[in-house]
Amino acid sequence: MDGPWFTFSFGDFSYAFLSVLLEGVPFILLGTLMAGLIDQFLPSRLMVRYLPRNPFLGVCLSGAMGMVFPMCECGVVPVIRRLMAKGLPLSNAIAYMLAAPIVNPIVALSTYAAFRGQNAAEFTCLRLGVGYLVAVLAAMAVHHLPIASVMKKGILGLTNSEPTGGGTGAPLLRRLAAALRVAVADFLDVMIYFILGAAIASVFSTAINQEVILPLALNTWLATISLMGFAGILSLCSTSDAFIAATFIAFPGVAKLAFMVFGPMMDLKLLFIYSSVFKKRFVAGLALGLFVLIALICVRLSVLGI
Amino acid sequence: MTATFHRYISAGILLIWGGVLTGFYFSGKIGSYLHPSFHLWTVLSGLTLLLMAVGMVMLPGTVNNAPQESVPQTPGPRSRLGKIFAALILIAPLLMATIVSPHQFGAALVANRGLATGIGDLPGYTPYVEPALPGEEGEPSTAQEASDFLPRTEEGLIKAQSVDLLYAAEEPTMRADFEDQDVELIGQYMPARANNAAGDRFDLVRMYVMCCAADARPVGVTIQTAQPQNLAEMSWVQVKGRATFPLVAGRRVPVIIASSVTPTEAPPESFVY
Repeated sequence: MDGPWFTFSFGDFSYAFLSVLLEGVPFILLGTLMAGLIDQFLPSRLMVRYLPRNPFLGVCLSGAMGMVFPMCECGVVPVIRRLMAKGLPLSNAIAYMLAAPIVNPIVALSTYAAFRGQNAAEFTCLRLGVGYLVAVLAAMAVHHLPIASVMKKGILGLTNSEPTGGGTGAPLLRRLAAALRVAVADFLDVMIYFILGAAIASVFSTAINQEVILPLALNTWLATISLMGFAGILSLCSTSDAFIAATFIAFPGVAKLAFMVFGPMMDLKLLFIYSSVFKKRFVAGLALGLFVLIALICVRLSVLGI
Repeated sequence: MTATFHRYISAGILLIWGGVLTGFYFSGKIGSYLHPSFHLWTVLSGLTLLLMAVGMVMLPGTVNNAPQESVPQTPGPRSRLGKIFAALILIAPLLMATIVSPHQFGAALVANRGLATGIGDLPGYTPYVEPALPGEEGEPSTAQEASDFLPRTEEGLIKAQSVDLLYAAEEPTMRADFEDQDVELIGQYMPARANNAAGDRFDLVRMYVMCCAADARPVGVTIQTAQPQNLAEMSWVQVKGRATFPLVAGRRVPVIIASSVTPTEAPPESFVY
């Protein structure tokens, strides 16, 4: 490897940091605007009425909802926060939160395009399939946890509250104004964590010499784990990460798959964004659980010759 | 008092974010940060944030005399000190990065990310496949016909991009368009690390971007000059010269035999896609 493994440049950091902020804000804003509208206009208990009563079926359905309501990983957190306030069970929210950034038509198309000439259909199906499976398994694990051990105190209060302001009988303008306040509050709240996460991700993505991981490509386990760690550091958007994964020619296919499944579910900026809703201990457990589960599944898939 | 304070602080933060986003768009700086497909979303978000700032101050239910129950419960810091600290996190890093950002990466990033010198190193590349033989109605095209469509300068030089030359190195039909032709390229100067004992070679670097600058991959084309160049690393230069594609370690690589290297301004589109 040429040069040191870590070289920090403040100019490179500030440039990368600003570009992540500019790219991420539209998605977070979209998510928080939807959250505001959900808070004011989605009738309470509507989802409870239509969701399957069986928790497993509910989780399976929620995990697939990204196909109808696609959301990227930055914007999904404020949405699930308000959906939970409307009665969406925690396990269903986790399934949607983890699956929607992967199991959606935009990501399917971008993955297929990125892997043209490299078994594109196989990679696309595997990415969506493994992403869905992991989201469902993680959600079912969370289903058995008491909600108080998962949610932050302030958020727990929100999940038991009625619509903030306006209400179903209030005039439209007042409800829109209340939706705006909810959207603004959620936007500012999530942005604090997004900024901190983007800053840390930008330090690592610009300062670490990427040749560090190349020698690890020869071993399936090391390659998978190192690319998952790399996905966590880079904090790429799920709509474009497949294009980056496809360039890791030296790495086995399962390692690229792990990169594309783990990154949209857990990375440095998401660690902070999730912390705006969930307890830190739960976020740490979720990160570790996802890491182990995805690594195990992907390495196991290597027997298929991927 | 606290509600008013909170409302105006929130509106102020939205105003700053909206101002930065719209400012980047209308000043054209956005082209140095994001792929063009994101530009529209950025300006729409900026305008939305500005409208939200106005709405926070003007709309019913957000003004001071609104009923108390209309104030939504929001998580986050409750004390005034906590709110000021949160406001600082929301504003200070953005403003600081906006002020100090050089609007381009430096040499350290190129060293850390490595230089892509083959088209196979770049995202989205589909390996070249030999075309089928022409059918009864089809006529094979010639290199001369294809090169007629390439954009040229007033002097008749082909306006090339570094990515074009990487493609040409891999694909014989495209290589025929460029090989031994006079070309003009713009890029950033980086002294060549390998095969440069005489110091008369440098890499002409461009950033290949999928989404935003954070995922940029440096792309380099080797430039051979008559004598060593004394230029600042990552400064923008215009190169005129002849395109060649010698075999190096069994594969074709683009090398420009430069007739002139002159400092220039960064182009409006600093990325390649």
